[in-house]
Amino acid sequence: MDLSFTADEERFRDELRGWLSAHIPEEWTRPGFWASLPSKENFELRREWERDKALAGFAGIQWPTEYGGRGGTPGMKAIYDEEMVRARAPQTVNPLGLTFLAPTVMAIGTDAQRKEIIGPMLRNEVIWCQGFSEPGAGSDLAALSTRGVRDGDDFVVNGQKVWTTNAVHGDKIFTMVRTEPGAERHRGISMMLISMDQPGVEARPLKQMSGASEFGEVFFTDARVPASECLGELGDGWRTAMLLLSFERGASGIGQYTEFRRQYDEIVEVARALGRDRDPVVRGKLARVLAELECLRYHAMHVLTQVERGRDLGFEASMTKLQWSETFQDLWEVFDDVIGPDATVREPVPGLDLAAMHAQAMWSRSVTIWGGSSQVQRNIVAERVLGLPR
Amino acid sequence: MYFALTDDQRDFGAAVRDFLAGKFDTEAVRAVVEDPEGSGHPAALWQAMGEQGWLAVLVPEERDGLGLGMVDAQVIARELGAGVAPGPWRGTVLAAEAIRLAGSRSQQQQWLPKLAAGDVVGALALRGSTEDGWPAVEYAESADLLVVADNVGLRLLRRDEVTTRRLDSFDGTTRLATVTLADGVGEPLPGATSRALTELAARAAILVAADLVGIAHESLTRTVDYDRERKQFGVPVGSFQALKHHLADLHIGVTMAEHAVLYAAHALDTGSAADPDAALAVAVAKSKASDSAAQMTGAMIQYLGGIGYTWEHEAHFFYKRAKRLAGTHGTADDHRARIAELTID
Repeated sequence: MDLSFTADEERFRDELRGWLSAHIPEEWTRPGFWASLPSKENFELRREWERDKALAGFAGIQWPTEYGGRGGTPGMKAIYDEEMVRARAPQTVNPLGLTFLAPTVMAIGTDAQRKEIIGPMLRNEVIWCQGFSEPGAGSDLAALSTRGVRDGDDFVVNGQKVWTTNAVHGDKIFTMVRTEPGAERHRGISMMLISMDQPGVEARPLKQMSGASEFGEVFFTDARVPASECLGELGDGWRTAMLLLSFERGASGIGQYTEFRRQYDEIVEVARALGRDRDPVVRGKLARVLAELECLRYHAMHVLTQVERGRDLGFEASMTKLQWSETFQDLWEVFDDVIGPDATVREPVPGLDLAAMHAQAMWSRSVTIWGGSSQVQRNIVAERVLGLPR
Repeated sequence: MYFALTDDQRDFGAAVRDFLAGKFDTEAVRAVVEDPEGSGHPAALWQAMGEQGWLAVLVPEERDGLGLGMVDAQVIARELGAGVAPGPWRGTVLAAEAIRLAGSRSQQQQWLPKLAAGDVVGALALRGSTEDGWPAVEYAESADLLVVADNVGLRLLRRDEVTTRRLDSFDGTTRLATVTLADGVGEPLPGATSRALTELAARAAILVAADLVGIAHESLTRTVDYDRERKQFGVPVGSFQALKHHLADLHIGVTMAEHAVLYAAHALDTGSAADPDAALAVAVAKSKASDSAAQMTGAMIQYLGGIGYTWEHEAHFFYKRAKRLAGTHGTADDHRARIAELTID
């Protein structure tokens, strides 16, 4: 056992900390600041800040330097995730592009795609959306029906995507399209890179139960995309998608723990303010969820250890997803128990504004659905990790 | 970052596991379970524990021990749990830890080599008092040397200084007895400060937690193996989502408990049990391991169906041992109360 980071990694932490403390105005770290900004302004402020961060060398931490990355270690990525949370840095505006598309392009993209996609993404000149889910294809992704019909050098695309993060801000969308009529299920799908700035693409915000609109819907009506704008082989999009999703299996658990633990401490503060912190039932519930949070931290160290040694975690990633998402949801259920009779009230006592916390509690209902629902993840753990029959 | 066992530690665990599989399998355990009047302390197993260094793991090298740490000790504890093995291993290792942490030089000289070799059987009782005695002490009857908590610290008692009274326990993989003072008062361990007691209690909790993780892991493996084969309605019962989803959750729980025990053991090896992060880790590990083992062994009986409820099947060895250890050195609720103190107050 050795739970330390290397000297190089710790130097990186110091550098990053220094940059973050010099570049995050105190006002940005106050609760409710980002929620108080109009959507467009919020997005643009974060877009610019993130570009500056990338130019300072604090982006693409693990990417090779030839693609504009830092060429760092998995440990540096874990440190990056942790320090970003600690500093209350703004959320990335290009999450799907950075997490999924870029590593996939590096792995299987053409030279032209690598050049055209990665640099502009790092500088936030192009915001990427992901077009996977459809109204008829949620957990059963292979049921997707958006289709593309060949027309000269282009495909003409028709269909609808839903649960698209940043839909209204997106410039381009990597999306799964059926390009071979008659092919069934996992066959004949292509991963097309479609410009959203054209008359055939319409993005609409999707108002969620929380009232916010992180997600949107994207409608394709005779949208055009050159056949060359395909990631991986034409018709081989299912394999491209599986590769792409495998990049979620990184070591982000340490950052998540840092964030959730701070939220736990904030919930404890509320309990104290409401005089509920001595209630033995509340204490028992808080302790139970805290134990799960600490387990998430230990588990993140296990994951990082495996990643550093180049081991593919494979289906174990489903265990990580279940542990963090179910624990996060449990944490916010305890919040509801803490505020008790005032569970839906924004300001239960004067001066105690819980709007941001209520928003988190609402958000916690989504995390066990997106990115593979808990039920799908449990099937994967049972069948692929435990080896139970299908 | 290296959050994992070393190859040596893995090999150590495999050696314990192989020994038990070959020389002390569940049929041997059954013989102990079905002889409740017996000592529950098979001589052949004890001899092997001494010879193979399982008892010497935490004893310093200058006292003829292996001088290893809690990460190594929890490897052994875990395999003993997986094998539902009887015998006074934990009591002996912890009595030696008490003497290492709080004993005088001469006490260490006198007892540690003997405890490490298995020449002397130890027992530890942290719950109880000089006046009322110490309840439900593991293998108190077999012990030559007992370390007990009294009102001020820790005390060494020899077998002839105490009276023991056997307690019926439905867990047949151990023997429990009440200990009271008879003739004599033994000798105090001079270094038994509250800090030493904290260290000792943390080590006791982690070795029990590791046993529980072993129980839970083995129970999960046995349940999955059975449900892959057992057919009802023409299909393996393990193909039903009602079982799959629960077993997936249990697997995650067991894995998290395993991580927590490893982290806590490492925290004790590298720092003080009084350090807030280590104290939290111990409480997390014991509460999580207690819950996981109780849930998993209960699920094993359920998902084996009728056979799991029979005396003939060994599922009840695991279930009953888990029930006992879940309450030993702090229940899950006790440890959650500690978590609350550390993170709320």
